[in-house]
Amino acid sequence: MENVAVPGLTFDRKKISIFLLDHIIELCLIILIIGLAFGANGFMTWANWMNILRANSLKGVIAFGMTMVIIAGLIDLSIGSIVGLAGVIVAVVCRELTGIGIDINVAAIIGIAICLVQAIATGWLHGFFQHKTGMPPFIVTLVTLNVFLGLAGRLSGGFPIANQFPEWFNQLGGGRIGGPNGIPIPAIVLLAAFFIVWFVMGYTTTGRATYAVGGNPESARLSGINVGKTKVIAFITVQLLAVLSGFMTAGQVMAGTFSFGKGWELDVIAAVVVGGTSFTGGAGKVSGTLVGVIFMGVIGNGMTLLNIDIHTQYIVKAVIVFLAVLLTSYRAQLKA
Amino acid sequence: MSVLQIRTEQIIKDYPGTRALDDVSVCFDSGQVHALVGKNGSGKSTLVKIFAGAIKPSSGEFYLNDEKLHFNSTSDAYHKGIVSVYQEMSLVPGLSVAENIFLGRLPKKNQAIDWRKTYQMAGVLLQQMKVNIDPHEQVSRLSMWQMQVVEITKALSFNPKVIVLDEPTSALAQNEVQNLFTAIRALKDQGVIVIYITHKLQELPQIADTVSVLRDGKLVGTVQMNKVQQIDIVGMMFGEVKIQNRPTDIKVRDEIIMEVKNFSRHGWYRDVNFKLKRGEVLGIAGMLGSGRTELLRGIFGADPVDRGEVTIEGKTYKSANPIKMVKAGIGLTPENRKIQGLILIHSIKDNLCYASMNITADGWLENKRKRNALAERQVRELDIKVNDINAPCESLSGGNQQKVVVGNWLNTSPKIMLYDEPSRGIDVNAKQQIFEIMWDEARKGISTIFVSTELEELLEVCHRILIMRHGQIVDEVIPDEINVNELYEICMRGD
Repeated sequence: MENVAVPGLTFDRKKISIFLLDHIIELCLIILIIGLAFGANGFMTWANWMNILRANSLKGVIAFGMTMVIIAGLIDLSIGSIVGLAGVIVAVVCRELTGIGIDINVAAIIGIAICLVQAIATGWLHGFFQHKTGMPPFIVTLVTLNVFLGLAGRLSGGFPIANQFPEWFNQLGGGRIGGPNGIPIPAIVLLAAFFIVWFVMGYTTTGRATYAVGGNPESARLSGINVGKTKVIAFITVQLLAVLSGFMTAGQVMAGTFSFGKGWELDVIAAVVVGGTSFTGGAGKVSGTLVGVIFMGVIGNGMTLLNIDIHTQYIVKAVIVFLAVLLTSYRAQLKA
Repeated sequence: MSVLQIRTEQIIKDYPGTRALDDVSVCFDSGQVHALVGKNGSGKSTLVKIFAGAIKPSSGEFYLNDEKLHFNSTSDAYHKGIVSVYQEMSLVPGLSVAENIFLGRLPKKNQAIDWRKTYQMAGVLLQQMKVNIDPHEQVSRLSMWQMQVVEITKALSFNPKVIVLDEPTSALAQNEVQNLFTAIRALKDQGVIVIYITHKLQELPQIADTVSVLRDGKLVGTVQMNKVQQIDIVGMMFGEVKIQNRPTDIKVRDEIIMEVKNFSRHGWYRDVNFKLKRGEVLGIAGMLGSGRTELLRGIFGADPVDRGEVTIEGKTYKSANPIKMVKAGIGLTPENRKIQGLILIHSIKDNLCYASMNITADGWLENKRKRNALAERQVRELDIKVNDINAPCESLSGGNQQKVVVGNWLNTSPKIMLYDEPSRGIDVNAKQQIFEIMWDEARKGISTIFVSTELEELLEVCHRILIMRHGQIVDEVIPDEINVNELYEICMRGD
């Protein structure tokens, strides 16, 4: 084929391959959607898309915080337990406070406040211990994963605590705007969380410090960047988003259950990685994570529509994560 | 025991733009320690890398006992019995001494590792080295000299004919050096050719039998150690040095901008006192391990300090950290630019603006326009050669990377710049440009502290030079009143 000359554009094979690799997930997503639109009955319907959003927003919200943490060169494994704990705390607080005659709305707000404080404290603790002692973040947050899972279990007695929330709290997870087939509220929360984290990472000093700390903590420190504070902010962000996800999850089923969110950390990390964020830190895009979340949601939904059993779905998703990481590593090599 | 000999004939090694070795013919006999000395870049490492099979000479031959050698890889050199022990330790800290010595070739009995034999063989080797190290000991628990000896013992376990030791004492304390020397003498008594690279001339009378001096890739000469004085060797190393002229228009003002008082950090430096004037370029001379790098890092707050204080423009700092010191107006270009100075995967633009992040932003909001302007200004003013300012920093050459580190700081409009070995690993041209930058900044009233191993550089660039030895400032000299040989001699004295 002849070289196509377009005025003002020069074609460079390496640049084209880098561009393609940079956007490979978007390309795959488009191909996947087109394929499913023709191959799977009921895929390309409004109701199904709203369903995808509703089902994936709960984990997806956390993925943006996780992106920040991974770009900072860290990891937070505890978020799954926090999801369960948040629902349990609000449910228990509502039950106990209404029991002594306090208004249910006030009780729910107190419960929410407790969760938010707990999220900030946990994030700070993660950052503090990791930074001061140099403990691997994997271990620090593995400890809190189990501690909070245990706490949530004890607090709830091991059973779901149902029907304690005020109606507006249930709406957080289950509500829709615009009637029964409208846009799910969690999807709106997802978009809001995306925009906030996207803005912070792209347009604030905190975002730039996060990339710097993940790229080379020693250079960042010697440039006068507050490394400890940057890590703490990333850890607090992911914790806050996990708590938010916990509220929505509990609201959706109208109960606080300690085992909600168990194992989510791996799905959340998978979405981040599929979105092209590098595990070595210092590189990655929040918009990539949004694509990653949608990608994982679409593929799960598509497989269900195609009657592929859940066990096979695990394998397919695992292979996708593997291929995504392979691409990220290959891209890094190509650019170097 | 028959005499072995390794010999080179007219070896030349060319790199693009430079001749690293120029017609070097030298001969080393067994049973002796042969010191190889010369300034940085004189060709010492190139020569031993040829022996080790890591690089090939452009022309010329080398022989081991009249057998012509031709190495395609380092393992070829190994098989001929030439082993090298480098400064960077290659030991695995978590394993035992014996395991480290026989790593990858542990003795086996019926497919299983024969641990008894491993420890016993290691014990025999360590005994030959005349040192008391337990083969069962975990390497991470050893002191530096013991690790160095284990490293050499590992080399010895290959039954080598030639051992190259590259600066084995650079990380050792004074008393440890003696223990290492005992081991090296044991090595030579076993009829091995020992080639010993060092910067520390004062060690030579104790350990070396011959000294070969390289300068600018040429062999200046080989002399018997017992027939020469240290000052003669220094003369051979430096030759006739032409010191370039420092611009005369830079006026050092009388105003004291920074004062360091009783600065001490245990094991690194103690009771350091000095004053820095506005617009002054102050040099710190000292050998590796004299505490100069650590002192700079201490002033910048990069490492904790035990005692002492820094006063900048009347404000006293007792426990500093980089965040405070950047605000106070200090910048540090660290010793290792790749690991400490840059974020290699990030863009040139970003790397030029990390230290000035809070200056370029409007509050906590990024101002991309201001940032672009600052980055582009440094690219222009420092003459950084870039195709694309958004390309990752790792795509730049060493000299341009160093300029990015400097530009990162100049964007903060510092009052004091600390340069730690800014000319390491960059070409002559870039070096000269870095010095020009220092002078330009000095004209604007910025004060500079300049640490370098290259004494000629200090003489060329500085208004005043402090000399550090064993963590203390022992002398102060004015470049116009001293030559490089004398300066070198003061740096080494008393060891």
